[in-house]
Amino acid sequence: MKRVMRFADWVELSTGFMVTSLDGLASIFPKSRFVRDAANRAAFESDGLTAFRAKPRAVVIPETADEVIAAVRWCHEQSVPFVARGSGTSLSGGSLPVADGIVIALNRMNRILEIDPDERIAVVEPGVVNQHVSDATAQHGLYYAPDPSSQSVCTIGGNVAFNSGGAHCLKYGMTSNHVVGCKAVLATGEVVTMGGRSVETVGPDYTGLFCGSEGLFGIGLEITLRLLPKPEMFHTVLVGYRSLQAAGDAVSAVIDSGLLPGALEIMDALAIEAAEAAVACGYPPGAAAVLIVELEGPAEKIEYERQQLETILAKTGHFAERVAVDEADRLSIWRGRKSAFSAVGRLSPDFLVQDGVVPRKRLGEALVRIEQLSKESGIRVANVFHAGDGNLHPLIMFDGKQDGALERAEELAAKLLRLCIEMGGSITGEHGVGVEKRDFLPEMFDASTMAMMERLRLAFDPRLVANPGKMFPGTEAPTLSQNGLHPLEKAGVISRE
Amino acid sequence: MNETTATPGNLEELRSLLRSESLVLPVGNQTKQPLASDDRAQLVSLRGMTGILEYEPSEFTFTALAGTTVLEVSETLQQRQQYLPFDPMLVQAGATIGGAVGSGLSGPGRFRYGGLRDFLLGVKFLSGDGEVINSGGKVVKNAAGFDIPKLLVGSMGRLGVMVEMTFKVFPMPGRQQTLAVECGSMQDAMKRMAAAAASHWELDAVDYRPGANTLFLRLAGPDKVNQMVIRKIMERWGSDVTELPDGDAFWRAVKELDWSDKTRAFAAKIPTHRRVVEALADWVGKRSHIDLHVSAAGAVAWLLCDTQSDLDDLDRILLKHEVAGLLVRGESTRLGIGCWPRTEISVAVKHAMDPVSKFPHLFST
Repeated sequence: MKRVMRFADWVELSTGFMVTSLDGLASIFPKSRFVRDAANRAAFESDGLTAFRAKPRAVVIPETADEVIAAVRWCHEQSVPFVARGSGTSLSGGSLPVADGIVIALNRMNRILEIDPDERIAVVEPGVVNQHVSDATAQHGLYYAPDPSSQSVCTIGGNVAFNSGGAHCLKYGMTSNHVVGCKAVLATGEVVTMGGRSVETVGPDYTGLFCGSEGLFGIGLEITLRLLPKPEMFHTVLVGYRSLQAAGDAVSAVIDSGLLPGALEIMDALAIEAAEAAVACGYPPGAAAVLIVELEGPAEKIEYERQQLETILAKTGHFAERVAVDEADRLSIWRGRKSAFSAVGRLSPDFLVQDGVVPRKRLGEALVRIEQLSKESGIRVANVFHAGDGNLHPLIMFDGKQDGALERAEELAAKLLRLCIEMGGSITGEHGVGVEKRDFLPEMFDASTMAMMERLRLAFDPRLVANPGKMFPGTEAPTLSQNGLHPLEKAGVISRE
Repeated sequence: MNETTATPGNLEELRSLLRSESLVLPVGNQTKQPLASDDRAQLVSLRGMTGILEYEPSEFTFTALAGTTVLEVSETLQQRQQYLPFDPMLVQAGATIGGAVGSGLSGPGRFRYGGLRDFLLGVKFLSGDGEVINSGGKVVKNAAGFDIPKLLVGSMGRLGVMVEMTFKVFPMPGRQQTLAVECGSMQDAMKRMAAAAASHWELDAVDYRPGANTLFLRLAGPDKVNQMVIRKIMERWGSDVTELPDGDAFWRAVKELDWSDKTRAFAAKIPTHRRVVEALADWVGKRSHIDLHVSAAGAVAWLLCDTQSDLDDLDRILLKHEVAGLLVRGESTRLGIGCWPRTEISVAVKHAMDPVSKFPHLFST
């Protein structure tokens, strides 16, 4: 594609940057959906990774796919960077604006275009909220399985871009396992349809590649999701242990038994303390760790498996066990777990959430090392994790008002990430690399693999306009800001997984 | 057609072959013949690079060299009561795990927990310029970097030479039992197929044989549980439901693509949705020389036929419905059937993966 640009289009701004006039972009949108005033732009300057912020030059709010396409084409032609944004809940800074770039806010692209209960698919626009898909399909006995903790506000577009996870990944996989097809505008302006209405494909799986590309390839316009029948029955058990090690061993016992629980979650004492303070979840007092096991499926199967689970758990040396007696009780068990992150805000003014993965059998070892590192650095760390997946979520607590506290917390975070790499795991299980971990990607992947990823990126985006500064170690340094909870988190609307 | 197939015994030999040959097509045991032949390319078989490198039952993962047969993998997993839930295809025929990924084929079991793509965690491969790329990871959950392993699913050896892959596995769910549900008409069968797929029964497979107007439902779980679910299904559809005495043989025939009582020259995979299934079933109708089997509750159709003109007809139907199909058995000038849009991005991705054009094009025409 030719770059159309005349000298007259260039305006030198007082910052010293040569940037193009925004007139062409402005002409695509009515004034009310082309935001340039500082106050309104400020609302977009940060996301779920509150340690960073950057001010965009303008925010556009498309209502149709054609407007999104036109905006992306303009950005490509003018070589102006853009960041697509849903609800801004990314925990890795994935939707952090590029300073002086464009934010394409997709919240008004929130139509559920089609629900086909017979084929068990839903076609949605990127701004549709995760939970709304399950709400809209409940009447057919169906639901959308991926359940990031922010699911009441986070959008499908962001879920796809970051291949979001949740508490139920062990059995049903991450977002990409539930995306059947995607019509997208790529960073070059090319509009493509990947996949279709079938979960099966022939030829390279481009939909699979697109999922988790962190907004570096383009913007999904119509996303086809696979729906599952709602399980007939859940069996949720909360188990209290006197040591973290015992809880970890219990996970191994469950896994080795051949059961395939929908969820296997552990929280340590500090995380329990926080959750208790925040939502009075009634977890067993004095527990060094709690384990949540959830079975799901046909009633007959659950009846059978619950006995199996009981026998296994009886041998794990627990001191307390609570079986959810009904749906309300089940949700109250989950409330403690799902609130754990924002609840940590009660113990500390600021915290960083990590998202590393280790092989399951090394979980115990990893936790011991985390404890050591925490002691050495004098920084408190609470642990919440998807034990079934080996996905750790250490919460590193600090006070952003103290000089150098954030830097010390980040140093500890770096050590934890390296620990995961050393153990043969991953720097991120479900939050993505984003801004936060971009310097660590080359530690996880060797030079030739990094070069291949760079080449793929260039294939989709030769001008590097789509979400630059994310995933790859880069030069664009976002501004550090004072820390604190996300405003929605403070309000109790969202929580971090 | 090439007379000889080179069989490197290790990574270094494979790399030097890549350097010395101008055009290379990696193959396994060539059980999907149309994908494993090219007039101009030197065929390079991965059969000299076999073996399970790591298997950690408690991690639900294994890593094996690409030339390892799926049969060997399955037998090893079975000893620890684990399996690949998506029912790999052509296992008895000798499919390798590299070929399974390259062809991207999944069997009836893909219905319950997802297809091969959903169980592939990492792939080590050689790019066209001979670089060793370690994509994905070895743990069950990983969101770091681009998901190149998924791109390689269905890449047919045209984007790189896969040498080693890591899969997620699951615990075996118990005994398999199969029900046949006779239906009065195709409409009736389609309705029941949708109902079965959306039910609480947690079925293991939901397949449909249009020629016999019969659904085949597979259960997998503890005996006691299966019996209770079977009772529910029988309550719903009454005397239309019978238990298949030899369910294993039925599913094996589907997975090996030899359920027809005739030997068919061609076999094709067609990702489908309802309208395509209906169109295919209508077309096949009373044509006794074509066999159609629908898997994964209508998500994929397997078609066996005898002649090139059948394929031409199929091509027209798929073009009309804007659906792509893939020939997986038989000698033909074409690999892709139906609608394979050649987008700018697919060309750019091919170039990124294979900058020196070491592998054949993805598009045969």
